[in-house]
Formats: sequence, C-alpha cells, structure tokens
Amino acid sequence: MALDFSIILRFQDALVLGLWMTIKLTLICIVLGCTLGFVVGLARTSRNVLVRAVSSIYVEFFRGTPVLIQLFWIFFCLPLILGVELSNLASGVIALTLYMGAITSETFRASLKSVGPEQRDACVALGLPNRVQITNVILPQAVLRAIPTLLSNCVSLFKESALVSAVGMADLMFVGQNISNNTARPVEVLTVVALIYFAIAFPLTRAVTLVEGRILKKLAI
Amino acid sequence: MSNTAPLVKMRNLHKSYGPHVQVLKGLDIEMKPGERVVVIGPSGGGKSTLLRVMMGLEKIDSGSVTFAGKPYISSESADTKTVIDTDVRRSIGMVFQHYTLFPHLSVLQNLILAPCKVRGEKKASAMQRGQALLERFGLGAKADAYPAQLSGGQKQRVAIARALMLDPKLMLFDEVTSALDPELVGEVEQVILQLANQNMPMMIVTHDMWFAKNIASRVIFCAGGVVVEDGPPEQVLGSPKEERTRDFIDRVFHIKH
Amino acid sequence: MNYTFDFQSITFGPLWEGLIVTLELTTAANIIGIVGGFLLALLIMSPVAVVRMPFMLFVEFFRCTPAIVQIVWFFYCVPMLFNVFLGSMTMGILALGFNLMAFNAEAYRAAIQAVPREQIDAGIALGLNPLQRILYIVLPTAFRASIPVLLTNGIVIFQQSALVAIVAVQDLMYQGKTLATETYRPIETFTVVALIYFAVSFPVTQIVGYLERRRQLLMS
Repeated sequence: MALDFSIILRFQDALVLGLWMTIKLTLICIVLGCTLGFVVGLARTSRNVLVRAVSSIYVEFFRGTPVLIQLFWIFFCLPLILGVELSNLASGVIALTLYMGAITSETFRASLKSVGPEQRDACVALGLPNRVQITNVILPQAVLRAIPTLLSNCVSLFKESALVSAVGMADLMFVGQNISNNTARPVEVLTVVALIYFAIAFPLTRAVTLVEGRILKKLAI
Repeated sequence: MSNTAPLVKMRNLHKSYGPHVQVLKGLDIEMKPGERVVVIGPSGGGKSTLLRVMMGLEKIDSGSVTFAGKPYISSESADTKTVIDTDVRRSIGMVFQHYTLFPHLSVLQNLILAPCKVRGEKKASAMQRGQALLERFGLGAKADAYPAQLSGGQKQRVAIARALMLDPKLMLFDEVTSALDPELVGEVEQVILQLANQNMPMMIVTHDMWFAKNIASRVIFCAGGVVVEDGPPEQVLGSPKEERTRDFIDRVFHIKH
Repeated sequence: MNYTFDFQSITFGPLWEGLIVTLELTTAANIIGIVGGFLLALLIMSPVAVVRMPFMLFVEFFRCTPAIVQIVWFFYCVPMLFNVFLGSMTMGILALGFNLMAFNAEAYRAAIQAVPREQIDAGIALGLNPLQRILYIVLPTAFRASIPVLLTNGIVIFQQSALVAIVAVQDLMYQGKTLATETYRPIETFTVVALIYFAVSFPVTQIVGYLERRRQLLMS
C-alpha cells in the first residue's frame, strides 16, 4: 500500500491541541501527584496504625489495579457517588493524580528508608533537635535520592495519560484516533502519534540516567 | 569544683541486646579532667558500645553516668526508661568510624549546621569559626567541596572539625582510623594528637597500638563487658598484670610483626 | 450521596469468562516476554553495533510510548502494512507480548551487567573458558537476580491487558464495560472488576516483596 504522510499536515493544528492537552494534564498531575505521594510516603512510616493502614490500602489498591479501570471508575462512578457533575478535565486530573500519588509514595518511602541509621547517630552526637534532623538532614537526602525515580514516574504518568482518550478526553491519542478513523489512514496518523510520544518520553528517560550520574558523582548517595 | 573531681563517672553499667547477648556487665569507669583514655580489647568486648552509651546513642539496662558532677544518664532496670539529659549531652562530641558526614551538604555547611541550629549562632560568625578550624586542619581549600569529593582522611578530619564546632568538653573517637587506607591514618592521628596537646579530654577506641601508646594518658583493657585492666600506657601495654591483657597484646603485636 | 447499591444485578458469568480471557492473554504474553525478552537482551548486548542498534530502538520504542498507542497501532496498522489478518485474541497476545519482551529484555540486561566483575575474574582465575563463564557464572546469577523484576513486569502486563478491551477483545475489562452499560450499575460493576484485578495482582506483588527482602538478607 502507498503511504502518504503529508496527510498529517492537514491536521497539524488538531494534533497540536491534543498534545497540549496531554502535556497540560501531565504537568498538573505531576505537581499534585508528587505532593500527594510525598504526604502518603510519610504517612506510611507513621507510628499511628490507622494512618499507616489507610495509606497502605490506598497505595496497594492503586498499584494493584489497571489504570484504565481506575479511570472508568472515576469518570462514571465518582460523579454518581458525589452527586455532582465533574468536567472531563477534573475527572482526568483526579484519576491520574491518584495514580501518580500511589507510585511516587513508594519512591519517597524507599528513599526515606535508604537514609541510614548512622546519619541519625551523627545528628544525635551533634545535639540536633528532632525537627532539624528531619528538615535539614533526613528529608533533603531522601528527596535527592528520590529524584531519578521520580523522573521515571513522570515518564510513566506521561504515557498513562494516553488512557484518558478511552473516556473521551481530547488528548493527543484521542485526536489521533479520530483523525485516523475519519481519514481511514491509521498507519500514517497512528505512527506519527506514537513518534510524538516517543520524541518526548525518550529524552526524558535519558535524562534520568544523566541526573542519576550527576547526583551519584557529586554526593555519592 | 576542684581540679581532681572526676569529669566522667560511670557506675555499674549494664547493657544487653536481647535476652542472651550481654555487652556491658557492670562497668565502672572514672575519668579525670584532662585525661586521655584509650580503650582497647577484643571485638565484641563492649568498647564501641561503651562510647555509644557515653554519647547517649544507646539505651542502658541499668546504671548511671554523671558528667562534670551533673547527672547525665541513668536507668533503674531493663524495664525502665533510660533518662538522658540532653543539655549535658551537648557538651560531648563524637567522631565515628564511617565519618557520617552529611553527603548533601558542603564541608563548611556540615560544620555550621549544628552551631546555627542548636545554639542559634549567626551564620556569618559560624562560617568564620568553621573556616578558621578548617585552615588549622589543612582543609582551608575544601570548604565548598562535598564529602564525596574528599579522601577518607580528609573526611575524617572534617568530621573532627564538625564535632569541635560545638566546643565539647569531652571528645569520643570510635575507631576513627579503621576504615582508612594505611597511608591516610597518619593525617587523622596528627589532628587528634594536636587536640591532645591542648589538653582536650578524650575517650578513644582504637586497634592501632602505636597510636594508643602515643596518645593515651591512661589505657583501659575491656573484655567480656567488664574492665579487666586499667593503668598508665607503659604498664598496660608494656607489662600487663592480667593474663587476658597479656594474651591480647601478644596476639595484636604478633600479627603486626 | 443518595445512591442505593445493588450488587444483585451483577451477573458473574460474563465476568468469569472475561477473567479467563484476561488470564490467557497474560500467560501467553508472559511466555513470549520471558523467552523472547531473553533473546532480545542478548541481541541488545551484542558488541556489533549494526546488530545492536535496531533492537535497542525496538526496546526503547516500546518503553517510551503509551501501551494503548501500541495496541491500537498494532490492531489497525499490522493488517494494513503486512496484509496479515489474525484473530483479535492472537493480535492482543502479540501486542502485549512484544511490549513485555521489551521490558523484560531491559531487566535481563540490567541483571547480566550487574553481575560483579569479581565473579567473572574468579571464573578466569579458575580457568573457565568464556562460554563456561557465561553458562556457569553469569547467567545463573543474572537469572536469579532478574526474577523479581520479571514477576513485576508480568503483573504489570496483567494490568495492561485491560487495554485490549478498547479494541474489542472480550477480556475482563470488556465484559465489565458491557455489563455496566447493560445493567446501568457502573459503580457496582466497576468496583467488582477492580477488586478482581486486585485479587490477582496483590498476592503476586507480596511474593515479589518477600523475594526481594529475602535476597537483601542473603546479600548482607
């Protein structure tokens, strides 16, 4: 069959709009999701059994089910339960933030655990009060160690965001599928859509390695 | 307080890990101001635990410690809480085997963190004192380096400087040269000898008998959780009275030669 | 909220059938992923750049694009490009299998490269030839080290398999969607479907956690 990639140019504007939606959604959920993940990561190390149990159930459930069903649940069920209309964007943001919160909480938890007990010994020997130990010694190290994995989490979120097309949000994937259906040119359109995702995700995965090397070299942590 | 009153008084210290491992079995040590006590003995004999207890890092089962006449640590029995006076604890400094510098902070930031946060010292003044201390230890050029960029010997000297920033009345050194390459041991021991010349009271756990001989004003041989022998370095290291001390010293020196 | 729950209207028959399809998809994809991923790992570690490059591109492409894009692309484009028309189940298995192959290849590669240099040195010192070193030292160590990641990837593909519902493979997700529409009971249906997915993945993630803890204990 003859391929004609020039067809893409006719739909350039629509694809750019779709891409913008994908990026907007990803960025919003990175900010909200990391914040949620940080709080939940701390909650999972809490001394309070109830706090620990609730946060664990949340994380395990969101890691243990397909993102697609999470998305469906929030799009179709949450409005019924809350009794309010939720815009597409709001539902998408809620669903992906909850997903991001669950995976980044694991990242934060692991990095908190990786700060060794000898750092605490040093703090005690220097007479640092508890608050200072946490804010000036433990947390900064934990966050630095978390950065490479957090970047990977961001790439995952960017990829998973394509799922919102399945519930009718006009992101890159949705726009691509629409064009592909209307023009009957799936090979050209879907390949270009895949290449756009690749062009963004691939450099980010390289950046993870780069940042990891930097942090390792400078701080050896 | 008269000059001869003890600086540290440990009374009947007991400590165990679990029901079967007893590391300290009724330890009594008194230390006068200006003394430099080197603690030697076989691994598992309780030396490092002794220092960690003294720093307030470990709970004890029972016993008490007073520091400069003030009650510092006490516990009635294994079931009661170990009471540690954190104000007293602030006048003691400690250096560890594995440096334990804060890897995310530069050398100078490592030095000024505690003075600024614990004593509320102004940043400018702490930085000035820190820089001066680094110069004294031959590390003036390393103020802005990160720990990962330093050699083991440099790291350990920074760790000593960091502890000194709080003007401790007693310094604890826990096997501070054990993790170092042999050629780096000297520079660290020099710094500690320099402190000794200024009459800084210290308690040192070390495997380096040469260093022990040179720095100690008194040597304690600790084994099985109790003090076996205690006296001036020439006597304990040169002509020990106790059989166990003699065995240990013979073995250490035979390995060396 | 004024919603009355009604779990009665959920018929488990179709969900059960869907789960079977989902498990078939997962198992088949894992066989492709575990075997194919290993071969792919050897190819991406080839010292010959011409061999290595295309396969690295293959791996990176699967790792850096959304799975849903891959699946939709596969279903629409493969028949047009190559003139092959396979059943939707086979297509689903292949799409998921290729995706898993890429992720598993990375897992194998990381594990092989993480075999400590001293182990290989010891092999040389004991007079083993290169093939023996690979067979008796590198691969057994690497394979054991990669098991937790392979299991995790396997369970991720179990979850990702829900995506084939979008291209009308009648898996658990698809049956759930249909049931939700037919019964007008989305909350109950989707909750039950989510719980079924959870009930399968959770035990596996616990096993992975256990294996990793045991490994760390053995290493220390």
